[in-house]
Amino acid sequence: MSGPGGRIWRRLEAAAADPGFVSRAAREFPALSSLPEEPLDRRQALKLMAAAIVWGGVTGCDSNFGQDLIPAVRVPPNIVPALPNFYATAHVLDGFANGVVVKHSMGRPLQVEGNVRHPSSLGATDAFAQALPLDFYDPDREAEIDRRGRPADWPTLEGALARERDRLASGHGAGLRILTGSVTSPTLLARLDALLDQYPEARWVRWDPISRGAVAAGAAMAYGRPLDTVARLENTDVLLAIDGDLLCTAPGRLRYARDLAGRRNPSRSAAMSRIYALESTPTLLGSVADHRFIAAPAEIERIVAALAAGIAGPEAAGSRPPGSGGSGSRAGAAGLPAWVGPVLADLRSARDRALVHAGAMQPPPIHALAHAMNEALGGRGTTFDLIEPVARLSRESADTLPALVADMHAGKVDTLLMIDSNPVLTAPGVMGFRAGLERVRFSLALAERRDETAQASGWFVPLAHQWECWSDARGHDGTATILQPQSLPLYGGVSAPEMLQRLSSAAHIPGDEIVRATWLHPPNAAAMGSGWLAALAEGVVQGSARPAVHDRLRETPRAPAADLGGAPVAADTLSVLFRADPALWDGRFANNPWLQELPRPLTKLVWDNPLLIAPRLAERMRLENGDCVRLAVGTASVIAPVWILPGQSPSCITALLGSGRGAAGAVGDAAGVDYYPLTGIAGPVSVQKVAGRVELASTVRHHGLLAPPDEVLRHGTLRDFHADPRFAADRSAAPELYRTVPPGPAKWAMSIDLNACIGCNACVLACQAENNVPVVGKREVLREREMHWIRVDRYFEGDADAPTSFFQPVLCMHCEQAPCENVCPVGATVHDSEGLNVMVYNRCVGTRFCSNNCPYKVRRFNFFAYAHEQKRPPESWNPDVTVRARGVMEKCSYCIQRIAAARIDADRESRPVGEVVTACQAACPTRAITFGNLADGASEVAARKQSPLTFAMLPAQNTHPRTTYEALVRNPNPALEGGS
Amino acid sequence: MAAIFDPAANLYVKVAILIGVALTLIAVLFWWAWPRTDYARHVRTVVAQPVPFSHQHHVAGLGLDCRFCHSSVEVSANAGLPPTTTCMTCHSQIWTNAALLAPVRRSLAKDEPLTWRRVTDLPDYVYFNHSIHIAKGVGCASCHGEIASMPLTYKAQPLTMEFCLDCHRDPGPGLRPARAIYDTEWHRTGSTPSAAALLAHYHVPDRNLTDCSLCHR
Repeated sequence: MSGPGGRIWRRLEAAAADPGFVSRAAREFPALSSLPEEPLDRRQALKLMAAAIVWGGVTGCDSNFGQDLIPAVRVPPNIVPALPNFYATAHVLDGFANGVVVKHSMGRPLQVEGNVRHPSSLGATDAFAQALPLDFYDPDREAEIDRRGRPADWPTLEGALARERDRLASGHGAGLRILTGSVTSPTLLARLDALLDQYPEARWVRWDPISRGAVAAGAAMAYGRPLDTVARLENTDVLLAIDGDLLCTAPGRLRYARDLAGRRNPSRSAAMSRIYALESTPTLLGSVADHRFIAAPAEIERIVAALAAGIAGPEAAGSRPPGSGGSGSRAGAAGLPAWVGPVLADLRSARDRALVHAGAMQPPPIHALAHAMNEALGGRGTTFDLIEPVARLSRESADTLPALVADMHAGKVDTLLMIDSNPVLTAPGVMGFRAGLERVRFSLALAERRDETAQASGWFVPLAHQWECWSDARGHDGTATILQPQSLPLYGGVSAPEMLQRLSSAAHIPGDEIVRATWLHPPNAAAMGSGWLAALAEGVVQGSARPAVHDRLRETPRAPAADLGGAPVAADTLSVLFRADPALWDGRFANNPWLQELPRPLTKLVWDNPLLIAPRLAERMRLENGDCVRLAVGTASVIAPVWILPGQSPSCITALLGSGRGAAGAVGDAAGVDYYPLTGIAGPVSVQKVAGRVELASTVRHHGLLAPPDEVLRHGTLRDFHADPRFAADRSAAPELYRTVPPGPAKWAMSIDLNACIGCNACVLACQAENNVPVVGKREVLREREMHWIRVDRYFEGDADAPTSFFQPVLCMHCEQAPCENVCPVGATVHDSEGLNVMVYNRCVGTRFCSNNCPYKVRRFNFFAYAHEQKRPPESWNPDVTVRARGVMEKCSYCIQRIAAARIDADRESRPVGEVVTACQAACPTRAITFGNLADGASEVAARKQSPLTFAMLPAQNTHPRTTYEALVRNPNPALEGGS
Repeated sequence: MAAIFDPAANLYVKVAILIGVALTLIAVLFWWAWPRTDYARHVRTVVAQPVPFSHQHHVAGLGLDCRFCHSSVEVSANAGLPPTTTCMTCHSQIWTNAALLAPVRRSLAKDEPLTWRRVTDLPDYVYFNHSIHIAKGVGCASCHGEIASMPLTYKAQPLTMEFCLDCHRDPGPGLRPARAIYDTEWHRTGSTPSAAALLAHYHVPDRNLTDCSLCHR
């Protein structure tokens, strides 16, 4: 099946030749035409008009005169009215920390930026960290302790805990189980160790729905013990990613993205890297790869075994050597894809500058093979390092969730403490966790919200948010961060170490004392060389990164391929891949409206998680986007809509976990489908079309640009670049009718490097948090009314079964000759002297002419009072940006509030205005976005605009945009070109 | 046939038309002029405060500097209101039993903030910054009037966009020497440096000070 007409396409049905698409895209507000016709006679219309005029007059006359002004009784230290404060901490997700700096306004934590000192962040953040403020201010977070659903209080709980302590002390902790996610926190581990020493019969069980267990198991197969791999992508010339998760879920993903992007722009980096991706379902890494090879999940194992045999010798791959030495023709002869030979040759010629990476969702043998290949290539110390595992494993390998559930059913579990874990939702349905929980005498769930587990437990205790308690955590390379509270608890709540402390003794030790005790005493006291306060201020404990270990591969590897399973699986056998939702993770962010409404990188879906299926499978089953199917795995089944995802293997269906929750909160309940009941089942997979359709909200068809592909997004290969570095530049300037150039002393401009963009969406959320962009809800998104100021357009090229993908962030271009300005009847959008196309909200009367005239489709209209309808505490909005009212147009302002702050700081000291960093730029893990003052020749943006790859979007419009792009260059293997 | 209208009818019609025209004129005048009155703009209107604080007494009488209480005016957008502890710096020593100061003492004792009422305000879509105006030689009195002569504080200027733009279009004449910025009684005299000299002295940038984006975001 080939893609729709046109070289580059955005969605399957979009074709420039399709007259329906053209007429739709030609309208600025296509959804308006499909709104139900409401009967409105002339008399009623006049009445409404009169009412609107009266209301307009009334609301225009409000005044703040006589309002209350409330100064503090005592001024808190370091707080100056209207000036921000910044405090370092970290965002911890599944145990691993990304360093962040939280911006406070008058003592309120408001926004998140990356911590440049933290090796996992280097100043970047991901969408999850950006969404933290809304998580923190979430009104659905629970404040009250409850017992079997009835409100309880601390003294009652203290009494119950005292009885538990007595009982545990007499039985050496028999029957005590503690369930957590991955833990890297030295403090929490110290508390767990102390508790397990105090109660030797107790057990600690780790459970992560998005498990990285295969990584540890694979390393154990290869090296004899679990080790973590830290990739060094800055040194990697050739990367082979097997179902790669380096850019989306792996710890250190922000760092990896930065290092990877540093080798992707041929105009700046001398030696461009080459990326091969082998995957069954599209990943971010596969989307930016030079070659993406799509294989059925069952095939991957065979192909990796062949690759390993070719690199590390047949013995590494175990008993099934597919062709000795793995020459291309021989490998092909063994029934392998033709690309295996050239890729092998490329990896071997890159030797120690090559890296093979396997994603955490691949089984342990694949990881073992990847380790064998990497050792054979000799990249240790160059392209990767091995370190001691950062996340501690359970003491006994038998302490797993299935064992715990079995014990629960057997009545062996008396006391169960579940810390920030939601097993009732996330444990595989067949295990019967909920039924087991009912047999536990004393169960206590420590969670932020009264989630599924909290509702089924005996006790529920509110967990303090990451911003409300003392804690610590390690980054992907082991660097420790001490998390300092950013606020007093908004809703009460205790931290995990405090809860464990209460289980071990009656003494009340405050959270900061517990964390201090970890760091100011051996063995960590030595690591605190620079001092406690310095560690807090910098957000990292200097020198705490794990050193590389020097383990050798096992002499006689345990023939991993033998573990790969028996007979080859038939090609048409269907399988289901369960993956973390790119925005909701395992479901923990389901109540965060920013993340729910974040267009997922590849599908651009919001508020939903349909099954992702291949175009060929859809064709075979006559399915269209939104059609419902019954997906059965073994005896369990769910009914869910489907979404056709180009690049998906027809042999598998991808189910994104984390939606369809019943106890997420007011925002997340009932959005999407819960696939957890299907997990953990080894039975056959069947999919069957059923009646019914779900209207899925995807922004992929919104804001379509009516222009030839070359006008929008330009790309080429490294060979094109070497032939002519300016291959993407415009050759001739179009004739000018009139031309005005903003005369101001600064010229604000932006350059976006398409080579660096990985489509991760961090910029989208950073912009939303910074600029008070409202959430509109699924119904309004279906009407094409989402409000994001920056969108990441995703394009495909070529065959729909195996397309090449492209990401292009699009925001207001700040055209020097802006078409929107000429048509505004009230002068609400005008140009300022420094080149900013500004929106004057208080002038806007909502004609929407500007949006209609914008060729880039970047203007957003408040059809309703979205901002005011959003249930969000007023103190959580950014006070430096207007919260827009109904009937007002808005769009990217280049973060004018940040420009204004920099301008005022500079003017106050009578110096030229310095560096301004926009919110999207600050968040971007790959530095794809550069903003600055073009008039300052030394600025980075001025340098980037000189890049030979620079092109403007829609140049024929003569808009002279201040935002330009650097064309995408791919580095395909010449031996594979045309055939991949 | 008898006349349909008696002779007075003409008069009635004329009077009716005149009244109609007059009413329309009055309505338009009212609609246009009312918002421009000092009354509607709350100019020179005193608001009841929890403590009848006198700027006249503290500034002109005792010689307190503006920055003693409005301490962030040089560094921040917000000039800052004094916390209760600032009042109590002196009033823990003098007038310790004054009935007028009871709310201040109560605030400190009970740790409950004083609630003042706003006299000067700009709409929320205006992002005014005190620090840059101070740094560039705009005196407090330019917007707040002769505070030092106000027993009870009132809004001295209309603070409309027109008021701001008058200065932003031609900032020179509104500037004053650095020593006079906090002196609300200061007036331009013959020996005051010229507008051009002050503009140069303060390095008032050559950017367009009437860009919408300067104040509206």
